[in-house]
Amino acid sequence: MSEIIVGGKYKVLKDRYYSETDEWILIKENIAIVGITDYAQKKLRDIVGVELPEIGKEVKANDPVAVVESVKAAADIYSPLAGKVIEVNQKLTDSPELINKDPYGEGWIFKLEISDRNEIEKLLSPEKYSELIKQREGL
Amino acid sequence: MFSTPLLDIELKLNADIGEFAGWKMPMKYTSYQEEHLAVRSSAAFFDLSHMGRLKVTGKIDEFDLLIAKDIKKASYNTMIGPTAFLNDKGGFIDDIMSYKLSDSEFLIVTNAINREKIVNWIKSNSNLDVEDLTFKYGMIAIQGRNVWNYIEKIDLKPLEFKINTKFLGEEVFLISRSGWTGEDGVEVWGSPEVISKIIQRLISVGVKPAGLICRDSIRQEMGFVLYEEDIGENITPVEARYWVFSLDKQFIGREKIVEQLKNGVEKIRIGLKLKKGERSIPRKDNKIKILDNEIGYVTSSTFSPYLNRVIGMGYINSKYALFGYSVDIEIRNKQVEAKLQDFPFI
Repeated sequence: MSEIIVGGKYKVLKDRYYSETDEWILIKENIAIVGITDYAQKKLRDIVGVELPEIGKEVKANDPVAVVESVKAAADIYSPLAGKVIEVNQKLTDSPELINKDPYGEGWIFKLEISDRNEIEKLLSPEKYSELIKQREGL
Repeated sequence: MFSTPLLDIELKLNADIGEFAGWKMPMKYTSYQEEHLAVRSSAAFFDLSHMGRLKVTGKIDEFDLLIAKDIKKASYNTMIGPTAFLNDKGGFIDDIMSYKLSDSEFLIVTNAINREKIVNWIKSNSNLDVEDLTFKYGMIAIQGRNVWNYIEKIDLKPLEFKINTKFLGEEVFLISRSGWTGEDGVEVWGSPEVISKIIQRLISVGVKPAGLICRDSIRQEMGFVLYEEDIGENITPVEARYWVFSLDKQFIGREKIVEQLKNGVEKIRIGLKLKKGERSIPRKDNKIKILDNEIGYVTSSTFSPYLNRVIGMGYINSKYALFGYSVDIEIRNKQVEAKLQDFPFI
């Protein structure tokens, strides 16, 4: 199984890392691709807007870098690692609902050139993130 | 926490269940945009079992004094509404729909959040009897631009209703030609078992289920208010431009309304239309400004799938009610342009 299903409805993929603020992080060499988890998009419900970060922006771990607007609330998206934003998902400008439809694929938000690989160790494994969801949901 | 009596069938329909006004209710099934467009182009149904439904029995004169529209003049088997119960300062205790069964029996539909408050308010302001039917019946609304292509045409004029009748082959308690979407359709009350059967029938003919998120975007397009967001005990019908009263009769709160109609109001409800492509959503209490001068605040906002833009409503100082003029809304420390406009948006 390449995924964990938590509480019968929240998908956690095993090929990536997670943050406590519900971002997923897929590491490919020195690049981190970042989006929000299936759990996060289900909690936010219908997403209607995304404020993307500026390309070239230098960020530290846990800096707020993007905003996801849902019908319910606006949520900050934090950078899980330090680095430089090198690409953003422009498709989200016109089709923010891609985050709902495909949070782990088409709904990615930004790519980061990692400046300190040691920080990767601080991220959550899929198993630990699944535990975190269970705790929050009282499962 | 209460739960819709239709929860079993909602879960079978893959409803995303969430909390609203102390009730577990379906928020959406697929996406609110799809559900919204189904109402505007074909038909959809809403589970409204959380709405407070009360039977009021007693002297019509007593009930007429509590309610802002004239229940005495209304015909039997006709709804009057929306109307309201007001406090002595003219503020909304609740906005309601009222159904006249006879000169001594009335039904009302309250906002879910106000059900208990209304039961107590009626009892403390009158000798009327109140029976709470909320938990006895499920309630759905079937609404849409092409609604009659999906359900049998019923012999009812807008705002007429029938009780103890048949709908889609089932015995229902009440059916009315009414709704809160701006489209045609019916609202139906029946036992949860009967309403579940009707839902299955609706699904089989292609009527889509729609959740409360879609209901919120649908009502905002029409400029309809939501209690505790856009109106409340400190807002009067005149300020809300919500014409729910008859001045040619007495009712609690009338004095304040007359005074405001004579002298004008300080604040007034307006619509806000953001530019196409703007995807920031104003939130409740965000400031509305003209040239850095704060003139009001936002009460509701959403992304309208039908208009493909963000819309909202709020209150501004009435001397700035310049429809067509551009204002700024402060959203997360950012100034976003919006146009003041009248309702409905569509």
